Amino acid sequence: MTQVFHDAPVDRAFRPEWHTSRLVVYAVLLIWAVICLFPIYWTLTTSFKIAPNVMKGDMIPWVDYQPKWLGWRALGLSPDTIFTESTVRAEFFKRFTNSVIVSVVSSCLAVILGSLAAYGLSRFSFKFLWMRNSDISFFFLSQLILPPVVLALPFLVLYKELALLDTRVGLILLYTLSVLPIVIWIMRDQFSSIPTELEEAALVDGLSIWGAFATIILPIALPGMAAAFILSLVLTWNEYFFAALLTSTYSNTLPVMVASQTGSQGISWWSMAALSFAAILPLIIIGIFLERFIIKGMAAGAVK
Amino acid sequence: MSGGDLLHVVTNDDISKGRRAFGRALIWGSGALMLLVGLAQWAQLEGISSFGFPNWRPTLYAYCLWATCLCWGQVLINGEQGKRTLFVLPAALFVISLTVFPLLFGMVIAFSNWNLSNPDGRQFNGLDNVRQMLADPFYWNAMGNMVWYCAAILVEYAIAFALALALNAEIRARKFFRVAFLLPLMLSPVAVSWMIGKSMLVIQPAGPIIRLMRTLGWENPSFYSSPWMAKLTIMMMDAWTYIPFMMIMILAGLQSIPKELNEAAKVDGANPWRAFWEVTFPLMLPVSITAILIRIIFKLKLADIVIAVTSGGPGGATDTVTSFIFREYRDRSNVGYGTLLAMVYLVIIIIAMTALMKLAERYARPRT
Amino acid sequence: MKEGLYQYANSKALTRRRLLQGATALGGFAAMGGLSALPARAQEDLRAQLLAIPGVGNGSPTEADWQKVGELCLGATKTNVAEGEFAGVELTFFGINNNGLHNILFRGLLKGWETYTGAKINWIDLAQADYNPRLQQSIATGTVDFDILAMGAPLEGDTAGQGLLDEMPDWVKTQIDMDDYVSYLKAPVGTWAGKTYRITIDGDCHTFAYRKDYFGDGAISGMAEAPTTWQQVQTVSQAVAGQTDPLTGSPAYGYLDPLKGWGGFGFYFLEDRASAYAKHPDDPAWLFDADTMKPRVNNPAWVQAIQDVMDTMAVLPPDQINADPGTTGFQQFLAGTGSMLCWWGDIGSNARTSDTSVVGDVIGFSINPGSDKVYNSKTSAWETPATPNFAPNMAFLGWGVYVTNRVSADEVKRKAAWSAAAHLGGKDLSLWMAAYPSGFQPYRNSHFMYDEWAAAGYDKDFVADYLGSNADSYNHPNAAIEPRIPGIFQYYSVAEDELAKGYAGTYASAQETADAIAAAWEKITDQIGRDSQIALYKASLGL
Repeated sequence: MTQVFHDAPVDRAFRPEWHTSRLVVYAVLLIWAVICLFPIYWTLTTSFKIAPNVMKGDMIPWVDYQPKWLGWRALGLSPDTIFTESTVRAEFFKRFTNSVIVSVVSSCLAVILGSLAAYGLSRFSFKFLWMRNSDISFFFLSQLILPPVVLALPFLVLYKELALLDTRVGLILLYTLSVLPIVIWIMRDQFSSIPTELEEAALVDGLSIWGAFATIILPIALPGMAAAFILSLVLTWNEYFFAALLTSTYSNTLPVMVASQTGSQGISWWSMAALSFAAILPLIIIGIFLERFIIKGMAAGAVK
Repeated sequence: MSGGDLLHVVTNDDISKGRRAFGRALIWGSGALMLLVGLAQWAQLEGISSFGFPNWRPTLYAYCLWATCLCWGQVLINGEQGKRTLFVLPAALFVISLTVFPLLFGMVIAFSNWNLSNPDGRQFNGLDNVRQMLADPFYWNAMGNMVWYCAAILVEYAIAFALALALNAEIRARKFFRVAFLLPLMLSPVAVSWMIGKSMLVIQPAGPIIRLMRTLGWENPSFYSSPWMAKLTIMMMDAWTYIPFMMIMILAGLQSIPKELNEAAKVDGANPWRAFWEVTFPLMLPVSITAILIRIIFKLKLADIVIAVTSGGPGGATDTVTSFIFREYRDRSNVGYGTLLAMVYLVIIIIAMTALMKLAERYARPRT
Repeated sequence: MKEGLYQYANSKALTRRRLLQGATALGGFAAMGGLSALPARAQEDLRAQLLAIPGVGNGSPTEADWQKVGELCLGATKTNVAEGEFAGVELTFFGINNNGLHNILFRGLLKGWETYTGAKINWIDLAQADYNPRLQQSIATGTVDFDILAMGAPLEGDTAGQGLLDEMPDWVKTQIDMDDYVSYLKAPVGTWAGKTYRITIDGDCHTFAYRKDYFGDGAISGMAEAPTTWQQVQTVSQAVAGQTDPLTGSPAYGYLDPLKGWGGFGFYFLEDRASAYAKHPDDPAWLFDADTMKPRVNNPAWVQAIQDVMDTMAVLPPDQINADPGTTGFQQFLAGTGSMLCWWGDIGSNARTSDTSVVGDVIGFSINPGSDKVYNSKTSAWETPATPNFAPNMAFLGWGVYVTNRVSADEVKRKAAWSAAAHLGGKDLSLWMAAYPSGFQPYRNSHFMYDEWAAAGYDKDFVADYLGSNADSYNHPNAAIEPRIPGIFQYYSVAEDELAKGYAGTYASAQETADAIAAAWEKITDQIGRDSQIALYKASLGL
């Protein structure tokens, strides 16, 4: 990767103030890294605790306490239960699958629809009734502002009539709607940073506008689309409100299961932590492997 | 964007009359079909005649068909211009079809007395809900809180900017830090509320942050008891999740600043502080404004954490509008009033956002 | 509650040998081996056998144990249903996932039933907080998509009251032996307009827990015995203020009032205080006037209860304004802060058994305190009965299993749904649920045969002491029974919010706070429909 840093010869020369500023920078970085990572560490370690460890606030496994599989056993994912039949594990994987399908499909849909719209809006001027480009953009954006509670009951009724309740399709449609604005916003910046001369040349060469879009623009905008996709994925994967409202048996997703670990019996921190960790793990992995796309994607349109 | 297309292409479409007619026929034909199916369904609903529809799916399919034909027809009728429309049309149709009905129905609910426990269902009650809203101190209290929550964005922005600068500096293990800083954004608010909001901040005396505070000399750390402390805690948790979002936008911006600019400043003998304010910051203004605007939008929807951790307490100090409506809606099943509140909120933020964006557009123009 | 109790038994460090002795004596030794090979035995043997799964001292029951229990208890089902009778039937079960119990447990328990009958059950698991709103939305928008429903009795007004439920067939009543229920769970609870709808699987009530070391000769409260009336409780709270806790050495506190709401459930804790004042033995109503639905929450009895809380607020631990019942129970009382508390059964068992509890050896139980005076709403006057007026608070009335009218038209499906529900509410199965971690409490008279528990390895004195307070509450003639009217949790939720404001000083007095609640309740009543509420309230009281 190009990010690998090589000290410039000037910088390597000994300069006290340079060292102090280095020190400050690293101190800031380290402190913030701890702030970011500690809760994740806490979640992971809590999933191996039992009640007394939680109440004592033990921090370090094997030092403060002996890790136990209690939390994971509740999910049927501990070594001793993994090969036995477990309805909880079945439930977990069903929801996991649903979460994956729903979030990936809706993010894809949103990126496709959103990129097209963003490209259109960045290249051509439209007029629909009184609405011009900026109004149309705002119309899309305003969907992002919509508080979900406004839509809750109407959607329940609508989906009931359309027999979309408790279907993945229903959830996908709704999620696509909810992330579409953010995709359009990101992609519009992307496209407007790409010079129009590129397509013009292609068009002169005889490509149609769609051909030019597909062969010239798309590859350039790919990092941006990846960023938009990942962001959508994060938002849809974590969505709770509509998931709790519109699903029941067949299409339910993970966040609802995480929230169910609480109740009148107090909180089983260990299984809550295990579930939370299992639920955030895919996104952590995505973060680790696809992080460069996110920043690259955001970069293109950032400074005009 | 005004004043015509950015992409100047001369197209000489030669569209035959037959093709145009076919396009029109397609659109109107499928439209008529949709209308027909819709009418048939309505007739069945009214009990006029039965077609054996189990639900409104047929109308949905007819609508999908019509939407496809509409898109295709555009190309048939308008040729190149139609192909351009085709970029925006699907998204627009999608959004409109999914929001029009819910919003209209939402309007109906908003002006109704509808407690879900009422066996008689929904009844119109005119402006009663509006009157109740105007006299509801807790709704306006939540509105006031939103102002504070939004004000906190400035602090978040400053932190995000500092982090982005640090990440953009010449450092080792850059990849590690970038990933680490990004992770909070990935976590589900539900998990964050429980694992941080409760496990780390509430469990006495074991929560790690509680213990840290005690070591730092705060005798009885409690994060949710006084109104301001509670508000601050919520702000911090929310900031924790979303600072990475602003950070990556700013970092992306920083990385696209041409190196020469900073070097030029260096050559001019400007100290780093002045170089930042005179070169970097102005260049970053557009992206900053975008980041802040998006952040405001997310902030306006802040609810998950509040609902799970404080339920708005103590005394409504941490209530956001969404969490307040949510309680009205969920705990009291008071759907009519709750929906009205949400509608009003929607109108207010649309106005506020429009104003902000107009303002921002003026400022965001690159000055160079 | 059983988690704690169960751990307690475990912590008694029963040796494997002693356990086996107990088990053998009851013929349950075979349970350690292959269970499926067992021939049918007498019922006592079955019960002993059940209590040996997995056996006290062998760790928490696993899912395999749940399935085993479910299979062992199929006897009753087999008499009413032929093998494979429900092949092809699919049922949907609506309930909560409460810390991995409830629906999760039911899955295991019903596994054998599914195999035997051939039916398949689909599950709707909800977080507790989503449960009620989701149910209300389903009812209001006509999207009831479930056949079996696990629900608390307070919601019967919302469901049975709106004709949503299917009446219980008579064969079910026999199969589950309804006469065995403790008295407060018998009709009218579980019935609506004379029809029976509910298979009870749980009992709920608040009991009074206190610290024995605060009372007795030379104790800091200056009282020889634990208080039995709220007047005494108030005295103790004031008397111990400023003193040192004999156990922990930190400041001593009296009765722990939760001042923060708990999703509607916080109101039960004001009811604990108020029921003694407001529940007159001659009048079943105590929250509303049955004829007008006029709230009684601002009558002198309730105001007295709120005033009591306010009077002792100054001597509560600092920061109490932020303490919900979960805090007062688990983080204060069990950790040695405060000396008296009303709570569900959980607290009692946890006190002895939880590792974080420091009060295990010094805790006692009784029914909720009474009052020297009781308010008579009919005459609008205080009365002073010869003995204090007791009115244990049957908070929440426990979970039950109901069948919705979605299956009414289909006889096979209907029978399948009721059979599944009856399996969960079966007499023997319920003993196991009462004795092991399940999230459910004892609710049958047959659960209070302490010998059975002792034979299974529990400490008899402890079980008798702790369960006794529950049993006494359940069977109390003047128990304060919750109204099962539609929207009852809306009333609680709004009351909780107003109370929090009152405690925070937004309102000038207890009376003003109570008036605010009453006004909010009137609004809800009007919104839901006063006439129907009156009718349903009367029906729920059995009037």
